[in-house]
Amino acid sequence: MTKVKICGLFREADIAVINREKPDYVGFVFAKSSRQVDFATAKKLAAQVDPGILKVGVFVNGEHSLIKRLADEHVIDLIQLHGGEDNDYIAILKRSVHLPLIKAIKVQPGTDLRGLDYDVDYYLLDGPVPGSGEAFDWTMISKLAKPYFLAGGINCANLEQALAVGCYGIDVSSGVETDKVKDEKKIATLVRRVKMKKGRFGIHGGQYIPETLMEELHKIDAAYEHYKNDPEFNRELKKLLDEYAGRPSLLYYAKKMTEDLKGPKIYLKREDLNHTGSHKINNVLGQVLLAKKMGKTRVIAETGAGQHGVATATAAALLDMECEIYMGKEDTDRQILNVYRMELLGAKVIQVTSGTMTLKDAVNETLRVWTGRIDDTFYVLGSVMGPHPYPAMVRDFQAVISKEARQQILEAENKLPSAVYACVGGGSNAMGMFYNFINDENVKLVGCEAAGKGVDTPYTAATINTGSLGVFHGMKSYFCQDEYGQIAPVYSISAGLDYPGIGPEHAYLNDIKRASYLPVTDDEAVHAFEYIAKVEGIICAIESAHAVAQIIKDAPKYSPDDIIICCLSGRGDKDVAAIARYKGVEIYE
Amino acid sequence: MNRMKNAFTKKAFIAFITAGDPDLETTYQCILEMEKAGASLVEIGIPFSDPVAEGPVIQKANIRALNGGVNTAKVFELVQRVRQVSDIPLCFMTYYNVVFHYGVEKFMAKCQDIGIDGLILPDLSFEESEEVNQFKKRYDLELISFVAPTSQNRVKMIARQAEGFIYLVSSMGVTGTRSSFAGGLEELVALIKQETDTPVAIGFGINTPEQVKELSQYCDGVIVGSAIIKIIEKYGQDAPKHVREYVKEMVAALG
Ligand SMILES: Cc1ncc(COP(=O)(O)O)c(C=O)c1O
Repeated sequence: MTKVKICGLFREADIAVINREKPDYVGFVFAKSSRQVDFATAKKLAAQVDPGILKVGVFVNGEHSLIKRLADEHVIDLIQLHGGEDNDYIAILKRSVHLPLIKAIKVQPGTDLRGLDYDVDYYLLDGPVPGSGEAFDWTMISKLAKPYFLAGGINCANLEQALAVGCYGIDVSSGVETDKVKDEKKIATLVRRVKMKKGRFGIHGGQYIPETLMEELHKIDAAYEHYKNDPEFNRELKKLLDEYAGRPSLLYYAKKMTEDLKGPKIYLKREDLNHTGSHKINNVLGQVLLAKKMGKTRVIAETGAGQHGVATATAAALLDMECEIYMGKEDTDRQILNVYRMELLGAKVIQVTSGTMTLKDAVNETLRVWTGRIDDTFYVLGSVMGPHPYPAMVRDFQAVISKEARQQILEAENKLPSAVYACVGGGSNAMGMFYNFINDENVKLVGCEAAGKGVDTPYTAATINTGSLGVFHGMKSYFCQDEYGQIAPVYSISAGLDYPGIGPEHAYLNDIKRASYLPVTDDEAVHAFEYIAKVEGIICAIESAHAVAQIIKDAPKYSPDDIIICCLSGRGDKDVAAIARYKGVEIYE
Repeated sequence: MNRMKNAFTKKAFIAFITAGDPDLETTYQCILEMEKAGASLVEIGIPFSDPVAEGPVIQKANIRALNGGVNTAKVFELVQRVRQVSDIPLCFMTYYNVVFHYGVEKFMAKCQDIGIDGLILPDLSFEESEEVNQFKKRYDLELISFVAPTSQNRVKMIARQAEGFIYLVSSMGVTGTRSSFAGGLEELVALIKQETDTPVAIGFGINTPEQVKELSQYCDGVIVGSAIIKIIEKYGQDAPKHVREYVKEMVAALG
């Protein structure tokens, strides 16, 4: 991935932004400039910079003694020579200071870039007038003998061209300023765009998967890239979503809940009204249609609550695919009706008895089975997780939720909501609910995690609140795990949220603080399940009840002018028996 | 000095064992017995809660080991014990999260410190391998590359960068004893050999001397895991001598 250097820091206020956005390098200018810093200021600022970010000292024919002092006191990690320094100067400097060197080159028509032979580690190609904010003609750049930074006039507008040059890193200063000082938003936008590598969300995502599956993942990626822009594919998918799944789903104004909670105006995005009773159908129709286009004849899937399994079995029946669903034994016991439903739909349900016998083990087993038979088989993953391209593909298929909701709320209220809420297992309904609001900075995005018996007990599945960075199920993200990286058994009353990880894009939205993830306990969710049934006459899924519960808690923080939307990801018929049991009532189906 | 090369001075028999199954003492004894029986290299599996590339036999070994209280720190101690009496080339085989969570560089430094020669991480794809590769030289470790029956289009890319040895996966699917292998293995070996001198060892499913005899005609080594684990599963603490006999028989079949 191309590195980013944000140069010319001199204000303490900028360091917090830097530490949040994490460019690879920051630069302190010790030469005459409007951004010049002295030793003391640089030392103070440098001490506050996140240790993962390298600090570059920028000098124009700088005094060796100053450079040495800065190096010795760890104020700088690299030295950028931005004046007329030659190899003699460099040789002397190297005797006393042992830091990597960057030599800046002013590029003009006729500059011989191939012939450069400075004894340094990197070059930095800049326009003829450094600091002018003007870009030079990048087509002049030929292959260099050393890795180089590209500088001069790079900003969010010409970023794509800059990245296409093929440099080691880009160096930006005035391009992320407004009125000569660093602009928080510009830094954030620029750094995030550079870091948004395909298949990555910040540091999260990737493809951590056995070699046997890699070629197939690339094929799926290529097929998806093709079909997502194919009008015919999109027409077919839209027809299925509208005529078969029943989209668009309603955006329902929950008047009684609003009046009762005396907080914001509450709307419910009714994914529970979709065919098969949850948001899962949005993703499944997309993936099974793609599988069909790829010539596959068999689909396999994992399922937790059984909702994704039922949706996959449904799509397989409709689109004439052979279908196998893998489900942990714990879950086949809790969700016996869904097992029978899948079988009615013609799928084969395989009980998974390894590990904790829940969703994560179902994913393990589906991956294993897939590894054994790839040619005719497509793995329909149920959430925004797994190796690339799944997190992005599932998100795109679920994004229809927020695409509709955004339009619907504008039509109904003529303004955007203050916040949107959704429950988070792997995170597909939440990603679908968030996606088209991410750029609406004033819309808060709230994910509700299953805290089970509480985040301070081992009986929890709240990944963001209790987990740590790891690599599992093909992706880098946050996971519940022990001190040795063993994946922890997790617990929630909700089979659909009972997963030890979270999709990589959520991990990223959490890192950059664009979304927040709050824990909701079993008790709170069950209470909300009963509450919304009594108040609104809606029996929602116990998963969705986690989002409802958080809204009940947060309502007092909002004013009547605020609007919030809750994604009601599924309906609750499947949960009735389990809730009764939780309340100590035995019912027999 | 990295000992990996010593494993391939002749056709290699590579043995896999899950550390701590059924206990660390048995693992220790098995490693030494396998060396005596002629094993060229031992892959020591650090158990993981969710071994996605593993069939039921090794899955269960992982669970037995974890239930017995084995952890990464204890496996390091096991290696230190082995190193006091043996110079056999050793690799760790585990899942990437075990390494990642420990800290990649810290883990690799520790490996060098205790005398591990290579890492086998089945869920660290070629695409993501830079995270480990960047520290290989510094800590004198090899990261073993995988090639699978589905890798035709990827062989060149993988082989060019491969060091230590190449782990050629014999069949589609997960580990476990098998009676037949994917077609085209010999062609894959030939493709690899066009790109690199790095030795090629075939693994996944091998369990009989006849299979060893056949495969070792065209590769540089065979890797046997599930078959050894089955013996350990059957005999428990009594396993070391049975494992020795089995390995002896398999080594004798090498071409
Ligand atoms: C109704 C419902 N909501 C939510 C989820 C959680 O999944 P995700 O976080 O991917 O939306 C599930 C999963 O089974 C579900 O069935």
